[in-house]
This record gives sequence, C-alpha cells and structure tokens, in this order.
Amino acid sequence: MKKKGAIKFFVWAALALALAVYVFYAHETGKIDQMYYHSTKTDGYAVNTNAFFDATKEKPALLQIGPADEIRGPMAVPVKKGERLPKGANGVIDKKVVEEGKRAKVEGDKLVVMVPWQIKESKGFKYKDTFIHKGVKTDPWSGVWNVAMTIALGLCLGFMAEGLTDLLGWKIQKIEHFGH
Amino acid sequence: MFEFTVAGHVIPLFLLVLTGFTVGVVGGFIGVGGGYMVTPALIVFGFPGYMASGTDACHIAGKAVISSIRHRQLGNIDWTIALAMVGGTMLGVELGVRLLVYTKNIGLSGVVLLAASVAVMLGLFIYTQIETQKSHRKLEADRKAGKEIGREVKVSKIPLYFQRIPIMPIIKARKARLVISMWVIVIVGVSTGILAGFLGVGGGFIRVPALVYVVGTTSHLAVGTDLVEIVVSGGYGALRQSMEGNVDFMAVFFMIIGAMIGAQFGSIATSFVRGPAIRYILSYSLILATVGAMMRLVYVLTGGAQEWLAFVAVVFTLGEMVFLCLFICSLVWFAVRHKHGKAVPEWVPPLVVTT
Repeated sequence: MKKKGAIKFFVWAALALALAVYVFYAHETGKIDQMYYHSTKTDGYAVNTNAFFDATKEKPALLQIGPADEIRGPMAVPVKKGERLPKGANGVIDKKVVEEGKRAKVEGDKLVVMVPWQIKESKGFKYKDTFIHKGVKTDPWSGVWNVAMTIALGLCLGFMAEGLTDLLGWKIQKIEHFGH
Repeated sequence: MFEFTVAGHVIPLFLLVLTGFTVGVVGGFIGVGGGYMVTPALIVFGFPGYMASGTDACHIAGKAVISSIRHRQLGNIDWTIALAMVGGTMLGVELGVRLLVYTKNIGLSGVVLLAASVAVMLGLFIYTQIETQKSHRKLEADRKAGKEIGREVKVSKIPLYFQRIPIMPIIKARKARLVISMWVIVIVGVSTGILAGFLGVGGGFIRVPALVYVVGTTSHLAVGTDLVEIVVSGGYGALRQSMEGNVDFMAVFFMIIGAMIGAQFGSIATSFVRGPAIRYILSYSLILATVGAMMRLVYVLTGGAQEWLAFVAVVFTLGEMVFLCLFICSLVWFAVRHKHGKAVPEWVPPLVVTT
C-alpha cells in the first residue's frame, strides 16, 4: 500500500511540478498576457494603463502618439478594430472617449489622459473602473487553455494528495452510508 | 506580493492561497463551489467585478476536481445520479444565463438578481434548518434510548413522493440505494441549473439540498455527487468566462494551490460526521450568505445612500468564510475528542461518528 502510494505521489507530484513550471514559464515570457491582450474590439489608442494610473485633471498624463510594436511607458499606439495589440498594451482608449474629451483628449501628437479611473458598482459592490481590459479581445483559444490547465492541475494535485495520504499510511476508508 | 498582469493588480500571494484554502475546506465539506464567498473576496482584493466573477468560476472547476477525487475515495459519489443529472444541469445553466441577459436588457438585473438570491437562500435555510433540527432531536433521542444510530438520519418524507413517480426510464442508483425516474433527476438538474446560471454561481448550495430532499440521497452522497456536477458546470462556466476575457489564470493557479490543502481537509472531515452535521453547516452557510446579500439589496434599493451597508456586507461575507471554516475544524476536533472518550459539548455526540 505504502509502495503504491509512494509511486502515485511521486508521479503525480512530478506532473504537478511540470505543469507549475510551464504555467510560470508562460507567465514570465508573456504568453498568458499575449493570449489575453490579443486584439482590439474597437478603434482607438492602445495603451499601458500603468503608465498613467496616478494622472489627475490637474496633473494629466501625456502619452506620445505613434505606431510601435511594443508599448513601453507613456505611449499611445493608434489601432483599428480587429488588429493585433502591440506587446505591453493592456487596454484600448476608445476613439469615442477621446472625442468626448472628458477622460482623455488629443493635443497635437500627445494623448492627454485626465481621468484614468472612476468608481463604479456591480451587484452592490463598488470597484475601480479603469481603462485596463477596455476594448481588448481575448484569444478564444485562451479559454480552452485556461480550462485544460485548471482541470489538469486539479487532477495532478488531487491524485498527488491521495498518493501522499497512502504514502503516510493514513487509512482513508469508504464511508458506510447506511451502516453505523 | 505578485503582479497579476491580467487583472492589473499587485496582491499578496498569501491572501489568494488563504482564500483558496478556506473555501476549499467549506466546499469539500458541504459540496459547494463557494462562488458567493470568493467573488466578493476578490473584489475586496481589488479585482474588477467581471474579473472576480470569471476567475472565481475557473477556480471552482479546479477545486471541484480535487474534492471529487477525495470524495471518490471516500465512496461519496453516486455516478448514476451524477451522469443522469449532467445534461439537465448544462441545459439549466444555459437557460439561466439567457434569463439573466433578458433581465439585464429590461434593466432589472441587479435588483432581480439580489432579490432572487435572498428569496432562494432564505427559503432553503428555513427548510434545511427545521428538518435538520428534527433529525438532530431524533438522533439524540435514539442515542439516549441506547439504539444504534446510522450515518444518516432524515425526517423529510418529500423524497418518497418523487421516488414514486412512475415515468420511464426508471433508474437504479446502487450507491444511494434508491430507484427513481430519470426525469426527476433531469428536472432537478435543469431547475438547479437555471438558478445557478441566473444567479451566476456554481449552484451547489441549491443542488445539495435538492439531492437530499427531492432525490433522497444521503448528505454525504449529495456532497460528493454535487462536486462532480460542479466540475462539469464549473468547467463550462470557466470556458465561457475565459473566452469573454474575465479570467486571470495566475490568480486561479494560486487559489487552486490553497484549495488543494483545504479541499483535502474538508472532504476527509465528512468521514467524521453524520449527515445532519453537514446539513447544519450548509444551512448556516445559507443564512450567512443571505444576510450579506440582503444588506447589498437594501444598499442598492436605497440608491447607495447607506454607505456603511456595503462595507458591512463585504466584512460579513469574508467573515462567513472564516466562521464556517472554524466551525468545521471544531467539529472534527470534537469528533476526535469524543472518539477518545474526552469531554465534548452535549450537542456534539449525536452529530459525530466514533467508529
């Protein structure tokens, strides 16, 4: 029993570890981000919201407008609906929002962001509504990847835990539902 | 601290692992996904509402796989019922989601959703509490009379009516030791699925009582069988939410790590108790969630005038997770003490097993 448990534990632990390493690799190399921030849902300016999170009406953030493959710092890349997002972008400021001029506006070759976030409510809970995720379309295959990874992790960790209790000699017996 | 680049937040890792652990304990013990506890927690940690809901749905599927593996080892899953119910559950979830979209389109969703949650949970709490107290009293009386008492005691006669419905095909659930029309199980799946889809939760807190009081399984089997349903419905929910871009997988990953430990404890803890103990915890979980939802409903209905209500509702929802987790831990602690002949409170012996 203990030998079987040891084999079960080590095999599933190795698989769980391999999965964890793969997940971290995907995170560190930006694969997860690229699947999530895949393309645009709307015409506008691709931005990295971290570059202007603390902007205010009195002290607005100035983002340099221009084409680029990667966004680093205060940049705004003009994008059209359906285009791939540049690397490092985590939101799209809609053209309509810019035309409205309340939260952001264009001045020369700069995009001026004045209201980077506002408080909104959902189901009675308040949260900060920012430009992050706005106008972003996720790669539909990332859904399959997420579910496959979740189920695989659940299986590996579940069987690993079962193997561990067998290895430790803990007797987990079947419950007698109709007995005493 | 860890930077969740998809959710756009830097959050201490231990908070997510701890949330996964706590909900793992509760979910493994009473067979729920815990969506009504995790989503508010993630919102408090700074996740946007939609991201909290999607990340939660994905984590629920992984946690349900872990709990199901342990409940399979404990013999708490009736595969016949689980498989018969899957199709109905999926159909119900889809209908529930469409109903939600319809109410959203007519501008009612927030209030209708909260009011429906409150009504369903309050109704279930009242019935479960009354039935479980009667079962507890019966257990106590039998114990005092020196009679042998079983793992499960129920006083509800409702399942007998449903088991007598003679519509073909009739199926035999060997593990649950019952014979019942498959249509009853399918309809239970559809109706609990509609509520789950409409309320945006895994549906365990509706399905577990339905399995006990309509189909007639024992509480332990209801917990294990429901977790299998959650793997399917949660997996489907996770896929939909992920495709909509509402999931931060790294947050899911860390919550599943916590849930792995919690779910083991919660699942194994069921072997220390009798059926009514599980139903007690389920009913307390229902009333605590109801009070939290009621506060948010009043807050929404008063147009957000009572700021403190929203704050108290969040504190209450988070406190609920900790309270239920501690309650389960103390039940196991008392069960072990009772097994070794040590003193325990008077209400404990009928609820725990000594063999």
